[in-house]
Amino acid sequence: MKYKSQKIAYWFFATCMLLLSLQIIYGFVMGFARMGFDVLHDWVPFNAARATHTNLLVVWLLTGFMGAAHYIIPDESDREIYSEKLAYIQLISLILVGVVSIIGFHLNFWEGRKFLEIPRPLDYLVVVNVLLFLFNIGMTVWKGKRYTTTALVLYFGLFSAALLYLPGMIQFNSQTVDSYFRWWVVHLWVEGVWELIMGGILSFLLIKLTGVDREVIEKWLYIIVGLTFLSGILGTGHHYYYIGVPEYWKWVGGFFSMLEPLAFLAMAMFAISMYRKSGRNHPNTIALFWTIGSAVMSFVGAGFLGFAHTLPQVNLYTHGTLITAMHGHLAFWGAYAMIVFAILTYAMPLLTGRKLWNNPTGLFAFWASNIGMLGMTGAFAVAGIAQVYLERKLGLDFLTVQKEIQVHFLGLILAAVVFTSGIIAFIINFIRFGTPTDEALGAEQASGDISLARRS
Amino acid sequence: MLTKFQAKLFFLVGTFLFSAVFLLLTYDSLKYVYSSPSSKTLSEEVIRGKELWEKNNCMGCHTILGEGAYYAPELTKVYERRGPEWIRVFLKDPQAMYPGERKMVKYDFSDSQISDIIAFLKWNGELDLKGFPPKPEYKSSTQLVNAESAAVAQPEKFKQICTACHSVGGAGGNVGPALDSVGKKYDIAYLQNWLKDPQKVKPGTAMPKLPLSDSEIKDLSSYLSQLK
Repeated sequence: MKYKSQKIAYWFFATCMLLLSLQIIYGFVMGFARMGFDVLHDWVPFNAARATHTNLLVVWLLTGFMGAAHYIIPDESDREIYSEKLAYIQLISLILVGVVSIIGFHLNFWEGRKFLEIPRPLDYLVVVNVLLFLFNIGMTVWKGKRYTTTALVLYFGLFSAALLYLPGMIQFNSQTVDSYFRWWVVHLWVEGVWELIMGGILSFLLIKLTGVDREVIEKWLYIIVGLTFLSGILGTGHHYYYIGVPEYWKWVGGFFSMLEPLAFLAMAMFAISMYRKSGRNHPNTIALFWTIGSAVMSFVGAGFLGFAHTLPQVNLYTHGTLITAMHGHLAFWGAYAMIVFAILTYAMPLLTGRKLWNNPTGLFAFWASNIGMLGMTGAFAVAGIAQVYLERKLGLDFLTVQKEIQVHFLGLILAAVVFTSGIIAFIINFIRFGTPTDEALGAEQASGDISLARRS
Repeated sequence: MLTKFQAKLFFLVGTFLFSAVFLLLTYDSLKYVYSSPSSKTLSEEVIRGKELWEKNNCMGCHTILGEGAYYAPELTKVYERRGPEWIRVFLKDPQAMYPGERKMVKYDFSDSQISDIIAFLKWNGELDLKGFPPKPEYKSSTQLVNAESAAVAQPEKFKQICTACHSVGGAGGNVGPALDSVGKKYDIAYLQNWLKDPQKVKPGTAMPKLPLSDSEIKDLSSYLSQLK
């Protein structure tokens, strides 16, 4: 690291790992419930487990993004974070809101709108919290010695994510309108502004890891985020087919959803071609694995599998079935979880000065978690396809169908075990790095970043 | 190839142009929603029902308009499928309706709260959803067995509750067995005992103990016993 205040990123990353572990535990609770072992029903009913699982996902990814910002923005702006104290206050308040929400979910205290379950009073705290974060990072960018595209795209992404949280806080009486604006948050986050954040982190990592000229990488970044918005904004329409709005959304949503994979395809091609241009390998190969892996898996999960069920003719049958869970798992994993893992893997040696790269544990973490996640996606896919045919085509009763597909959840749990073993390995590595020290200042020298920079 | 400036222009123009189109379409969609028949039937009851729906995170298991979790049935058309009586009985004690099956949390809803929820479900079921949820395409037809020759007419209660799980003459649910020839197997006395407390007759059965009055039990058993 170049700046002392980048150390803050470590605490965000550590929180991130903790929340991820909790998310996985709740995932298992649900997996077992689906297999018929709903033993925790009285303490953690399915809806509590589900709300906790998805909200932890959102919060740990956002924590990861915030950590990434604390690492990347000082580096890109060539200065310390505007206020270290503010950063710590913000992190602690974020954890508090998270803990209160999760406990609340178990006490029937929530706002039951998928992904936006955090109860309304706590929403205001979230807003204050995010404003603190944006102010601190914004001031860092503003007062920085240079303005890079990477930093601006990352900041614009974080800023818009905060802005788009607001439509989710308005109260609507009609389920149709409620649903309409809920997607402003959920869709425009994951298929819009989060992709800016991902693009920003990806381009930072590619600049550092491949040594390809910044100008080349940043030009591509513009094209990718341009494609994202071009397809993603009107692509929101694929959630509007069957909620009681005009018919034209089928055309608009269907057409722009077909374009959505393009942004991801461009991202994958971009990452791979930059890697091939690099000529020389950065010593932190596993960080490169996660970076390229993220670009590729996001195309498979978000791009391809998303495309597979957003055409209106298909969606009529797959809407509201396990097919959505199939797409959701690989999409979030590929696009967002893996990019957080990439920046973590890249930043940890530089924050702590310990060159724990390319060790077997790290390699195992990469392969086991990816293979496990692909297995889980496959299990959801088989269960989902069976569900669509039995329930929607043959008209069998919901619970009858659920019994038929129970066996696929054994497959899901086995794959989840492989996945979890990978995550455990990743966390073990994370712990072995220890905490960041000032001695690691200038560790870029050791990592090869500097020599690469000089070469270009 | 593009220069960096052109790439930036592509991003900015694309974003602003499509955001503008999106806002325009949003305006039009809201106009459509607020002038559609559903906005006139959006009563206080429905709104209270929606609040209960959200307060208890029903979407954490069920889907409505296809949105939510996939652990429990899609509820958009549940009013049409089950009818208000069945939903009322079910919500009073969800686990009694499906003993030993996937569980629903037992909320202690008051009668008026249950009415609100039913109003909310009815309102959603009446929305114009452009063909969702799809009608099953290959629904198998059940054989008709003498349903027409029945002398005693089907009691109202039967239509309200029993048909949710059982079928007669090919119409009804398929959770429980078809009742087309139940009169061949059981006489009226057995059926009365059964309806009073199914668990007592056959412990562990999926058939719940329904809140039926004595006269309702009598009507139902005499109707059932003649299905031969």
